[in-house]
Amino acid sequence: MAHVNDNVLESIVNKVVSQVESDLIAQIESSYAQSLERLMASKASLESEYSKIVESASKQAENLKRQMVESSRLAVRNKQLLLIEEAVNNVLKDAISRIDGVRADERYETMMRRLIESALDAIGTDAVIECNDKDRDMVDRIALELQHKYNFSIEIGDSIDCLGGIRARSKDGSIILDNTLDSRIERLKPILKKDIARLFMV
Amino acid sequence: MVEVGVEYTRVSEIRGPLLIVEGVSRASFDELVEIETIDGIKRLGKVLEVGQGKAVIQVFEGTTGLSVKGTRARFLGKTMEVPVSQELLGRIFDGLGRPIDGLPEPIAEEFRDVNGAPINPERREYPRDFIQTGVSVIDGMLTLVRGQKLPIFSGSGMPHNILAAQIARQATVVGSGEEFAVVFAAIGVQYSEAQYFKRSLEESGALRRSTLFLNLADDPAIERIITPRVALTVAEYLAFDLNMHVLVILTDMTNYAEALREISAAREEVPGRKGYPGYLYTDLATIYERAGRIKNVKGSITQMPILSMPADDITHPIPDLTGYITEGQIVLSRDLFRRDIYPPVGVLMSLSRLMKDGVGEGKTRADHMEVSNQLYDAYARAQEVRALSEIVGKAGLTGVDLKYLDFGDAFEQHFLKQAVDENRTLEETLRRAWDVLSTLPEGELTKIKEVHIKKYYKARG
Repeated sequence: MAHVNDNVLESIVNKVVSQVESDLIAQIESSYAQSLERLMASKASLESEYSKIVESASKQAENLKRQMVESSRLAVRNKQLLLIEEAVNNVLKDAISRIDGVRADERYETMMRRLIESALDAIGTDAVIECNDKDRDMVDRIALELQHKYNFSIEIGDSIDCLGGIRARSKDGSIILDNTLDSRIERLKPILKKDIARLFMV
Repeated sequence: MVEVGVEYTRVSEIRGPLLIVEGVSRASFDELVEIETIDGIKRLGKVLEVGQGKAVIQVFEGTTGLSVKGTRARFLGKTMEVPVSQELLGRIFDGLGRPIDGLPEPIAEEFRDVNGAPINPERREYPRDFIQTGVSVIDGMLTLVRGQKLPIFSGSGMPHNILAAQIARQATVVGSGEEFAVVFAAIGVQYSEAQYFKRSLEESGALRRSTLFLNLADDPAIERIITPRVALTVAEYLAFDLNMHVLVILTDMTNYAEALREISAAREEVPGRKGYPGYLYTDLATIYERAGRIKNVKGSITQMPILSMPADDITHPIPDLTGYITEGQIVLSRDLFRRDIYPPVGVLMSLSRLMKDGVGEGKTRADHMEVSNQLYDAYARAQEVRALSEIVGKAGLTGVDLKYLDFGDAFEQHFLKQAVDENRTLEETLRRAWDVLSTLPEGELTKIKEVHIKKYYKARG
């Protein structure tokens, strides 16, 4: 009887084990299928995320590249501007240093006469004219001529430090006209610079 | 004009930003004057009034530190001029056009009067070319066209400069792919704002095609009168002589008007509204009307002035008069700004008057104008429904009303809102517009032709 019972028990145990085993296999298979499914889904989203990251990075790289190229171009252009400025200034400096030699040219006296006349035109009949030591005799002579010609009262003031030209003022000091070459060059500098730069084909 | 360079030493009075010189015989209106202090420091000014031996000079850099005794005024025999050349691109200047980038004075191709030359109305060409800014709300509903003047009405602390910088970086003409040269004039803005703009152009590689004029908050207020004029003179040269498409950003025009008021008060002129001079409209027009296109000239000037409305008041004289002159306005909304929506464009207050001529078949897309109209219509309804729901609650709303509530949220979050560095194509903008329109029942789309609904409405079927 006990032997029979053992057999029955064994069969039941086997059945249960087999049932559990098949359930487990089914569960494992289902989990495996689910995992595969999830993996496939993740793969798609991963790929989409990956392409987003790549796209964003390539956009950033493109921006960085453009920024670097443009910055370099700008730096080169700025360096070029500094070099041109230096060259133009050198030419201007050289030209100014040669002005002293122009004094012997008869056109210098014509220019001085024009500068004095225009100063008197702006200031009026009572004027004080100042110039450098080198031009003093010439200015004295022109002033005397103009005094007789227009019946002006012109005084020759103290010497001033300048390349050439004159500075005129009314006797009460309320009006001043700086017609020195230094001042005129300064006023015309932007135009002179443009003309000099053109010589460099800029 | 008097002999160039005549100096007068009889300064009789200094009143606010004005200097009064006596014994002047042949000065001219608007003539440029160089003022030299007793210490030899030079400032610039211009003649505002002349007569009876007196000249009233407006000193751009202010009169602080000037004294009646020892100050000289040298009349330069010309109006204020700026040197212009292509080399101005990539450079940074102060509000009067003097370099502040450590580089030398630009070598000029020409010297141009800062007051410019008015465009002959008969020679003006009507602006029609769509500019893609990459900002959905502008491209989709407030389209900017080449040669237009479209101001941004903003308020204190709002991101108008961020929006303007984004437009400057991203603006292109679709099809041609042409980029804009940018002329930026900062008028009395904070250092950080000017730096933001500069950095933004630098980082996008756009600085090489930009010229910046910076009058900062701590610079003399009177200089602000000149800054936009200097900037526009350079823009005119780039556009009409060098055939470039130029985008001019003037920020902040309110500071310009304040400077104008200061001078007007010092001249004891009869004040108009809120103390601004009666000629404020005319004066603003001399700036805004310098935008446009000229027949048979390739270049163009598109102007985007920014003005901060005092106390967000759109009826204030500055936005009010600006609105009469410009071709529409982009109004920034404090409410959207508080809700962290960028760009906080209050579309119902905004308008681009030239949009209708720059969009549609052959220019953008056939459904563009209708989509824009429908978005306006639906968003206006959404706002009404929002107000209603505040009173009766959501339970008191109909099904369609609830759809409009959803539409309002979708419009703000999906269409309006975008990142500061997000450059959307027109196709994307219109796709987003259809996305939000598709949240409404098809029958509600009354502004759009059936053929477009069939093609683009997403909830169908």
